[in-house]
Amino acid sequence: MSWFERGREPTSFSHRMVQTDLFSTLSERELGIVEGFVHNRQYLAGEVVFDAGEEGQALYVIVSGKVAICLPGQHDTPLAELQTNDFFGELGLLDDWPRSAQARAASATELAVLFRGDFERLMESHARIAAKITMRLAHHLGQRLRQMLTQSSAQGTLQ
Amino acid sequence: MMDAAGQYRAGPVVWAANIAGTCLILFLFQKILWLVVPFVLAMVIYFGLLPLKLRLVLNGVSHDAAAAWVSAGAFFILLLIGILVFPWLLAEAVSWQDSATNYLNGGIQMLSTVISQLEGRIGMLAQARASEAFAAQVADFSAHFAEKYLPAITMSIAVWSPSLLLAPFLAFFMLRDGWRFRKFLIRAVPNAYFERCLYLMEQVDQTARLYFVGLIKLTLLDTLCLASGLWIIGVSGPLMLGLLAAVLAWIPFVGSILGCIIVVLVAATDFPGNPGMAYAAVGLFVFVRLLDDFVFMPMTIGKSLNMHPLLTVLMIFVGGAVAGVPGLMMVLPVLGVVMVFGETIGMLVNDPRLRARHAHERALRQQLVTRDLTLP
Repeated sequence: MSWFERGREPTSFSHRMVQTDLFSTLSERELGIVEGFVHNRQYLAGEVVFDAGEEGQALYVIVSGKVAICLPGQHDTPLAELQTNDFFGELGLLDDWPRSAQARAASATELAVLFRGDFERLMESHARIAAKITMRLAHHLGQRLRQMLTQSSAQGTLQ
Repeated sequence: MMDAAGQYRAGPVVWAANIAGTCLILFLFQKILWLVVPFVLAMVIYFGLLPLKLRLVLNGVSHDAAAAWVSAGAFFILLLIGILVFPWLLAEAVSWQDSATNYLNGGIQMLSTVISQLEGRIGMLAQARASEAFAAQVADFSAHFAEKYLPAITMSIAVWSPSLLLAPFLAFFMLRDGWRFRKFLIRAVPNAYFERCLYLMEQVDQTARLYFVGLIKLTLLDTLCLASGLWIIGVSGPLMLGLLAAVLAWIPFVGSILGCIIVVLVAATDFPGNPGMAYAAVGLFVFVRLLDDFVFMPMTIGKSLNMHPLLTVLMIFVGGAVAGVPGLMMVLPVLGVVMVFGETIGMLVNDPRLRARHAHERALRQQLVTRDLTLP
């Protein structure tokens, strides 16, 4: 019943989170606020974080460990392997669109989870912090889009 | 049960379980449903102080210290207001007492007039000397009020007052530990069901918020209708009376009766010797209550909880039958929360993939903790 124990407020959260790309622009004080909105989860190697086709409701940040992004039945090997400080499932924060791939812990993994409802509350109460996170998210999605465009134009050239 | 869009929708079994679950909760917890009053007050204080606490956290204060500072600040402001307002309250109390006595006398006067008029028309009442009996009873009530009723009223206030002191106490712990408690609950959920449970908590939170918003809308509609009616009749202070009756109506039946008595007393005092005005006030009150129960409530609270109007009305009666007055007050919010739980559990039970993922997670953990137990 750790909730009833006093004086055990985690202090290492801001130190760990500031290294992640998503929260890199937040100050230590702002991370103190975000801490109240983020959930920590532990996954064993091989455990499914979410399935393809599942309705996405949250964004996941890898605090430690590795996560494989897979499409079981379509690709035998993982599409990508994400490392500590990476994040995934970001579209789940934006809409109800089903997850496009499966996420599976590739090793013992600790994840920080930001739920959409909590993010909306963060936007209402701390618009500045939410704006900073949204900017990082937009930056990340922009990079992805550019990568995809580069890949598709390279494929077009080859054909 | 899936609809055409492939979304889960609760079937008749889940609905029956929801209604049965609501009745069971009301029945089992009816002894502590009175805690609802301090809890609602605590919620109001909590939502009022939360932005201040978060601002302090943003300025580098820890969650615990911020909650303590904000609570202490609010307490001292209330204390200061109490010290400043107390002398004025003492001075005004005399005039309030005079007004109350005035309205009470007005009501008694009206009743005496009505009984006298009825005696003139109904011989049986005249033979029974109803007006004399009524006057004797009023005289007896006035003479023995202090010894017969005052101790019971004082005792009731003494019993209820400490429960109100719970409100700031609850609010302080909500401010200090609310975010930890939510995380504590979520930590107990297996990974496979984690996202679904976060969604469930969000829905419960939204349901509670919508209920209170619906209640505020209902109060405004009631106030407007009653105030307009009373203004047309010509009763003094229609807006104040309408608001008072609408707030009292938060307690179904009992609150409505009390509200009606107050309106009738004011009407009888404003128009002495004219019982027709008091009857008009009663008629107006009954009309607004009917509107409230069958139109406004299903439109506001029922709509906010996504409930069918017929079910809303039926559940109010069921709540009253199961747990009395607290049951009447609590049946709709309890049903709203139970509905979300019922639908989510129904969805989880009907999702074999989530159950398989949970079984896989357990198998992995079993494998991890038993890998060095077998001898080579």
